[in-house]
Amino acid sequence: MNRYRTYIAAVLVLCVLVGIGLFSSRFVLYLTMRVMILSIFAMGYNILFGRTGLLSFGHAAFYAVGAYGTALCSMHLHTHPLLVILAGAAAAALFAVIIGFFCVRHTEIYFAMLTLAFGMLVFSLMWNWRTVTGGDDGLSGIVRGSISLGFFAIPIMKDSQYYFFVLFCFAVSVLLIHRIYQSPFGLILAGIRENHIRTEFAGLGVKRYRLAAFVVSGTFAGLAGSLGLLLESNVTPFAAHWSHSAEPVLVSLMGGLETFSGPIVGSVLFVVLRELIERFTHNWMLWFGLILLAIIMGFRGGVVGATSVLLKRFSERP
Amino acid sequence: MNPTLLEVRDLNKAFGTVVTARNLNFSLQSGVITSIIGPNGAGKSTLINILTGLIAPDSGEILFHGRDITREPIARRVRWGLCRSFQVANVFGHLSLFENIAIPVLAVTRKATSFLRSTVRDKDVRREVESVLNRIGLLKQSHVRAGALSHGDQRLLEVGIALAAKPSMLFLDEPTAGMNPVERTRILQNIRELSDGGEVTFAIVEHDMDVVFSLSERVIVLHRGQIIGDGTPEQVKASPQVREVYLGEEVAE
Ligand SMILES: Nc1ncnc2c1ncn2[C@@H]1O[C@H](COP(=O)(O)OP(=O)(O)OP(=O)(O)O)[C@@H](O)[C@H]1O
Ligand SMILES: [Mg+2]
Repeated sequence: MNRYRTYIAAVLVLCVLVGIGLFSSRFVLYLTMRVMILSIFAMGYNILFGRTGLLSFGHAAFYAVGAYGTALCSMHLHTHPLLVILAGAAAAALFAVIIGFFCVRHTEIYFAMLTLAFGMLVFSLMWNWRTVTGGDDGLSGIVRGSISLGFFAIPIMKDSQYYFFVLFCFAVSVLLIHRIYQSPFGLILAGIRENHIRTEFAGLGVKRYRLAAFVVSGTFAGLAGSLGLLLESNVTPFAAHWSHSAEPVLVSLMGGLETFSGPIVGSVLFVVLRELIERFTHNWMLWFGLILLAIIMGFRGGVVGATSVLLKRFSERP
Repeated sequence: MNPTLLEVRDLNKAFGTVVTARNLNFSLQSGVITSIIGPNGAGKSTLINILTGLIAPDSGEILFHGRDITREPIARRVRWGLCRSFQVANVFGHLSLFENIAIPVLAVTRKATSFLRSTVRDKDVRREVESVLNRIGLLKQSHVRAGALSHGDQRLLEVGIALAAKPSMLFLDEPTAGMNPVERTRILQNIRELSDGGEVTFAIVEHDMDVVFSLSERVIVLHRGQIIGDGTPEQVKASPQVREVYLGEEVAE
């Protein structure tokens, strides 16, 4: 029963997204791509935050590493989209292994502070290493090559074409993360969030699982960074800035930490609200902050969490 | 004589001026249900904490199956068969009972790293989890969140999680505290069964003297971090020293 509802919801969302891709204006296309990319970023992030219970303030670093990795690969090696995205995600994964190795030794505020510090380190690396990263100008003018599959090639130059590539990556990410949440590994992560000492007494080395969660979430951040770079065709060090690290935190909180679809709903809210508010005022942070307060105080468990509690109560009533 | 499973040599531990283990030397034999008793604050829980790796001793050695485990991390001791339950229910509050038991089951079956297959659709895992839940009498509540259980049922689950790790040596810290008579009987029956089957060697900390004397073949009495009595229940009951500092009128027939 519940599973069918999930399937129906997934198919509906997919239909809407395909519809947007076929019939929408460039502006709506662009916004929807931003939503999907932020969703990948936030869903991956939430494997660490909502699932494993580790609050990272440095995930923009992996987003940025993904973006720079993709840019560098397409400037110096090849522009095949699959290759450059793989390069970006792999670079992010590598950074996540190294940074995670140090961070998962600590928890709670110490973990959060360490990730913040490493994030700032990556930011200043990108800012200062001019010869490779272009310094404060960043890297720009990255072109999207065609996806050549041997005897034929799919062009993704135009936004209306690239849209479907982003949609494909989004769908694959959703599927993968859903699988992870249903899997033994996903259950162990929830166990670590609930009671890490008991998890240790089940015979599981908690640090290793924390590191694995860190790397998986960092890799999805890298994938989001790659897709974001190909969308904008440029990247600056601000992609790694700590204020960008706050985005997946806010998005997860808004949507609902311990829910699967929370980060997706949160991403829609984030992008759409920002777009709307920016039309009326330059002070978008102020208004966004107020709305965020209202959501966090008014919806326990985020928008998705609170709604599903309401629905349950409603359906249980005779 | 049964083979030695766990051996403790010159174990010491103090918290500031509170000595909780003073030159402890003893060994536990495979298949022998041992009770560890002593007044509040005697150091019983601390001893379990040290043996299972939650806290480090100040000095001394712990050997399990003849192997020095004094500095091994908790998880490795558990994988080698040394597990415990907690005095205060220490479960996964937001997870269902099924998931609570599945975590140790996945760990012992070495499936915990699989990340694309579904947990609930794995028939072997499901069978194993359900058999543990059945053992502790909570199979019907398999989908209930652990945090929503009654106190007694949480205590049952507490023991169930420890059993699911398939230990060869299991320390139970006051397993029946806070249980009603039905739950208590169920736990004791399980302990006897598993012990008779030769699967698990139990060491039990217990305050209820009826449980201690009916269940155990050996009783160790701790007082201020020292062993002041060790032997069969009868020997311990008869020991004047034990009577003096601990048992008092409780065993006076
Ligand atoms: N982490 C700790 N830090 C400081 N003191 C501790 C710590 N753990 C235990 N103690 C002290 O060590 C002594 C022994 O405690 P322990 O919990 O081992 O007793 P126990 O025999 O299990 O008692 P009870 O029957 O009440 O469970 C107590 O005085 C306690 O206050
Ligand atoms: Mg105790």
